[in-house]
Amino acid sequence: MELTMRSVFKADQNESAVAGKEQSDLGITLLEAEPGKTYIIKEINTADDEMNSFLFRLGCYPGEPITLISKKKKSCIVVIKDGRYNLDKLLSEAIVL
Amino acid sequence: MRIAFAGNPNSGKTTMYNALTGRSEKVGNWGGVTVGSKEYTIKKEIVGRDDVIAVDLPGAYSMSPFTPEEGITSEYVRTANPDAIVNIVDATNLSRSLFFTSQLLELGIPVVVALNKSDINEKEGTKIDTAKLSEKLGCPVFDTVSIEEKGLADVIKTAISLAGTTQKAPYMQADINLHDKVAVDKEDRKRYEFVNSLVAGVETRKQLSAEKTGADSVDNILTNPIAGIIVFALVMWGVFWVSQAWLGPLVADWLVGWIETFQEWVAGQLENSPAILSALLADGIVGGVGAVVGFLPLVMVMYFLIALLEDCGYMARVSAVMDPIFKRVGLSGKSVIPVVIGTGCGIPAIMSCRTIRDERERRATTMLTTFIPCGAKIPIIALFAGAFFSGAGWVSTLSYFLGLALIFLGALLIKAITGYKYRKSFFIMELPKWKAPSLKFAFKSMMERAKAYIIKAATIILVCNTVVQVMQTFNWHFQVVEEGAEDTSILASIATPFAFLLIPLGFGVWQLAAAAITGFIAKENVVGTLAVVFALTSFIDTEELAMTGGANTVAATMGLTSVTALAYLFFNLYTPPCFAAIGAMNSEMKSRGWLWGAIGLQLGTGYTIAFLVNQFGTLFTEGHFAAGFVPGLIAEAVMVVVLILIARKVRAHFDEQYELHRKTAENGAAA
Repeated sequence: MELTMRSVFKADQNESAVAGKEQSDLGITLLEAEPGKTYIIKEINTADDEMNSFLFRLGCYPGEPITLISKKKKSCIVVIKDGRYNLDKLLSEAIVL
Repeated sequence: MRIAFAGNPNSGKTTMYNALTGRSEKVGNWGGVTVGSKEYTIKKEIVGRDDVIAVDLPGAYSMSPFTPEEGITSEYVRTANPDAIVNIVDATNLSRSLFFTSQLLELGIPVVVALNKSDINEKEGTKIDTAKLSEKLGCPVFDTVSIEEKGLADVIKTAISLAGTTQKAPYMQADINLHDKVAVDKEDRKRYEFVNSLVAGVETRKQLSAEKTGADSVDNILTNPIAGIIVFALVMWGVFWVSQAWLGPLVADWLVGWIETFQEWVAGQLENSPAILSALLADGIVGGVGAVVGFLPLVMVMYFLIALLEDCGYMARVSAVMDPIFKRVGLSGKSVIPVVIGTGCGIPAIMSCRTIRDERERRATTMLTTFIPCGAKIPIIALFAGAFFSGAGWVSTLSYFLGLALIFLGALLIKAITGYKYRKSFFIMELPKWKAPSLKFAFKSMMERAKAYIIKAATIILVCNTVVQVMQTFNWHFQVVEEGAEDTSILASIATPFAFLLIPLGFGVWQLAAAAITGFIAKENVVGTLAVVFALTSFIDTEELAMTGGANTVAATMGLTSVTALAYLFFNLYTPPCFAAIGAMNSEMKSRGWLWGAIGLQLGTGYTIAFLVNQFGTLFTEGHFAAGFVPGLIAEAVMVVVLILIARKVRAHFDEQYELHRKTAENGAAA
């Protein structure tokens, strides 16, 4: 199951690379996004209410823009509102664009 | 009258507080430096009266706490009824900051907004219409630059004048059921919409935050898992080298000359007094305390460099790059902050563990952070490096990196014992804008620490040295110990049983045991006591390069080889910290079991490291194991058995607990 989901994500990533801000309905995670681009957050799946509300206070919630500055294998740097943050893998994958 | 300082992390609250009160509380260019509330009277020359108290609170993003230290802030502004609130807002991140502002405005307490870091905005061409913002928020707004003390007097005077009035809120939370998650979310979202529209009306930006800048390329390297760690290692090596092998000893050399002159002068004054008095004063007090003070320059240079590092914003990057490694051993990236603070002093390091959200990670970090040698251990490192290794720089670097390695190993051990179940541990760290470190602040922070160090030397260390000197001079019948019969002194008879335990480690003589024991009161005591018990009054020689001049005498008198010296050094570095730090651990852990676990782990680690260094070092240099190999091995075996027993007990409980948690969670969901 997970494998098929992955391949869908991959396909979607290629698509979004061309389409920029417009993504298909499935969405991609931050680690699959393209550095330098601004996306609109579609969903946050941390399964942790406190974490969700913390992210919310920072201005990171569905409907808000987020910019990927750079990414590595296990982390990425993003701009939320006017602040820069380093996110780990787990959190990067929980943010769906 | 009380004025509370509240705002987002890293908005400059403590800098403002320091400027207004003349205090020098710790500041740093990253969130989470202030972990408890602090209060002090504001300077009279600023406000014209002396009854105004400023309360500095830990940074918070909102009124609903996420980490324990955020809870302190919301609790304080809600329940302590301050007369006014100064809300420090990071003007470079207005849209995020005003969310908290809008909540503070609802409390009814008069609020004054300080738009801090307005100089950065000027540089970046961001304009904020202060008058319009003030009108929309319904409270006074001032542009401030707290590092230059610009605008602070206006803010505080206005806050005082408003005390007693009632604040009107521009945005009121609707009357909703606060237990209804969906309703609360909806309400918070509306609040953010309000804030967003507010910001859109008052702010014009020239440089968009989302644009990639040169600083981003630097961050990209510093957070790279390989390059970032190499840079961190080099930076720390540089700090240790400058403070402990180059600049520090250079200044220490000069200072020690003065201390010796003073000591000779004291001895000269006492020429006609009884020998005991002269020994007590000149050798015991001046010699012992002087030995400790002689190392002050090393400690000062170190503090200065660490203050520069903390001020520029590098720590947040270090934290980000270390997160994956720390996470692998069961800690959090935030654990790196206590570790770095711990190079200064273990107590603030232990307190800074509060920023770690997960309880197990927090306790584990509290337990392990003091493996990093603190400022008080620098004299011990410097003494041994000088006396046995001709001042080699590698000794101090090795001490720190071994400390770091022990943190990792200790974390793995805790993970194994507590039967750590995989839990989601998210990591998010704000990367603040880089800033040129302020030399003035670094200097101030260095002098503050130097003052504390001297005070400690003149009080605790002085008393301890006197006691040690007296206990060494007399036997249990309060007769002066004869020359050649030193083993009959009170000190010798108390320390000898402990010394017995240290034989497998290579330093089983009562003098060394006594020094290690006094180290638990304050680590500087180790050096002071060694100076007293070996009558090595001129331990740090006046000759060139600090201690190398008299190195051979020192080494010969102590009867240690370079292997056993290294073992003794490590034993002192990695056994439990001073009592004050243990006290801090107790109040942070809030658990007897964890506290005793921590003390046991530290004792065991110090013992094991010294044992291994001594036995294998001797095997390597002399071709055979050192004395006491078998008893030592038995001691190690006992430790392993104890560990296994604890692990079994903890794990048995853990499963029950885990079960319980799940059940309550289900019940909660059902309700």
